[in-house]
Amino acid sequence: VTAPVSYVALLDAGTRERTVRVSPLGPGIFEVRIGDQVHRVDAYRHDHGTLSLLVDGASYSATLDERGSKVHVRLEGSVFPVEILDEKKLRLRRAAGRFTVEGKQTVTAPMPGKVVKVLAAVGAQVKEGQGLVVIEAMKMENELKSPKDGRVVELHVREGQTVEGNAKLCAVE
Amino acid sequence: MGPRRLSKVLIANRGEIAVRVIRTCREMDIATVAVYSDADRGSFHVRNADQAVYIGPSPSRQSYLDIERIVEAARAVGADAIHPGYGFLSEKAEFARALERAGITFIGPRPESMEAMGVKTTARRHMADAGVPTVPGSPAPIAEESEARALADRIGYPVMIKAAAGGGGKGMKRCDAPAEFARLWQSARREAGSAFGDDRLYLEKFLDQPRHVEVQVFADEHGACIWIGERECSVQRRQQKVIEESPSCILDARMREAMGEVAVRAARAVGYRGAGTVEFLVDSQRNFYFLEMNTRLQVEHPVTEMITGLDLVRMQIEVAQGERIPAQEQVVRRGHAIEARVYAEDPARGFMPSPGKITYLRVPAGPGVRDDSGVYSGWVVPQYYDPLLSKLVAWAPTRDQAIARLLRALGEYTVHGITTNLDYLAAALRHPAFRSGEYDTGFCARYAADLLSRPDPALEDVALIAAALSAHKRDTEEAEEFAARAGGAAASRSRWLRLGRARVLRGGLPP
Repeated sequence: VTAPVSYVALLDAGTRERTVRVSPLGPGIFEVRIGDQVHRVDAYRHDHGTLSLLVDGASYSATLDERGSKVHVRLEGSVFPVEILDEKKLRLRRAAGRFTVEGKQTVTAPMPGKVVKVLAAVGAQVKEGQGLVVIEAMKMENELKSPKDGRVVELHVREGQTVEGNAKLCAVE
Repeated sequence: MGPRRLSKVLIANRGEIAVRVIRTCREMDIATVAVYSDADRGSFHVRNADQAVYIGPSPSRQSYLDIERIVEAARAVGADAIHPGYGFLSEKAEFARALERAGITFIGPRPESMEAMGVKTTARRHMADAGVPTVPGSPAPIAEESEARALADRIGYPVMIKAAAGGGGKGMKRCDAPAEFARLWQSARREAGSAFGDDRLYLEKFLDQPRHVEVQVFADEHGACIWIGERECSVQRRQQKVIEESPSCILDARMREAMGEVAVRAARAVGYRGAGTVEFLVDSQRNFYFLEMNTRLQVEHPVTEMITGLDLVRMQIEVAQGERIPAQEQVVRRGHAIEARVYAEDPARGFMPSPGKITYLRVPAGPGVRDDSGVYSGWVVPQYYDPLLSKLVAWAPTRDQAIARLLRALGEYTVHGITTNLDYLAAALRHPAFRSGEYDTGFCARYAADLLSRPDPALEDVALIAAALSAHKRDTEEAEEFAARAGGAAASRSRWLRLGRARVLRGGLPP
């Protein structure tokens, strides 16, 4: 039996934090403290990503879908995108600063596809929500919009170009 | 068995529909040939077929839409027929003609019927001549944006901009105001060009809150033509169907009969053969208008199969072999069926497609459930094609039971690694407007906010427990591995590790 470990769970796209303290009690048995609630948990791992949990006697089937640093926990039709950090990761994260739309915002391709239209040139004034680039993927066109009011300061793509997911398209400041 | 019995069928398609056709062929003891592009070498349909032929690069224009390459593939393997599935070449008369010339059977209608219905503007003229009511709009494709805009001003906004060669929602845009016209017109033109290789557009008046009800028809070459039942397809996002059901809640026996007869009249007017679907818009006064005829098997055909017990792909093949279809009175409809289309897309981000790797997949089972899927665990959903992963269908004696059953099955559906619309589908089925049966094609837009499900706060603690225990397990394993490598043999005999192994055997989490 190992020592208790505390994790910080980031919820609602990182805007809310909750602390979860895990104390192993025996094989597959844990005491888990969240805020002032203490639960006794029996955890049993099924096939890939599926966890059977007996939480204070109630039975739950949770599936965990790892997405980079986040995990999507699905329970009875609810999905919770959570980022779990231990103390070391949390310190690193705090040092890196908070998420904001201040300053330069880069617009990236949400998926691989083809640029079919560039709607704003470098130097153009744009409004929040205004279309910047149109990408075609899987036969549908998707317009990527400006995250803020500002000026287009960078443009990395041209019409007809194929882009990877997460590729930088342009930046608005 | 007639003299024209088919022995080897090439499926000129991909994904779930290719798998669907292969299944019936296997039951009929017909050999199957898959075709694939670069992106599809690892696709499920390739693995399922008896033979597979590479037909070119990933973009569909250079592979699945390339008539020459597909005919050549069929010749090379000695296929005596081609099933086109839906989309791609399924409604291209020139494809059917090329097969005719090559002496290969096309499992579908005659090219003349496809031409009569394929160009939507021509179809509208044919229907008007046959006395079938149509929606007001342009009688022919419109070349100039300015001309189209003038017509839109005349018939009044909102208007639908549609691809003349279209279908399946591609190249189709609803335009609410003149200010949006240029942008939507150009976007529709590009989409139509890339999806159909034909960028001609036309306009139709947008009917206020219509319902989309379609009738399945079937005809053989001996002059028989029957209607098999309707499908209600009013739950649509971005002009694409997401949920389809049969029977439709707004039809009574008389209206069903009337629409069935009109559908048969429409099919007969173009000398139809094989499986086809006549789509109607039904307005709030329950008037129905001809929308278009799809001269192919429809995506949502399983709904009809579930309530009739028929195998429409088998019937298509039988018709292609020169056999007769059942008589109208032999078709019996029973119970209620609903289909939900499972897409790789993110409803929270405007239904943005989400290609990527499926890291884990578990599909539903149990009474009255059918999953027509084209994917598997470990497959990378490519960016090049339609994001449809699967069609989940439930059948039950009543509509309420069918809804409950489909919800239950959606709850069992697990797809990891990519974002899907599974929760969106469940929210739509649970919505009071859907439950009441009082919904129209405005459903998804009107209730957009209701349909984006939020997690139940009562379950948050349990979710956090699951996430934290999973992180704890990973951290413990990492620590063990580190200790094992650092300490060598001594560490591997540690009590820690022995205990950990015991837990793994039990299946539980190691401490």
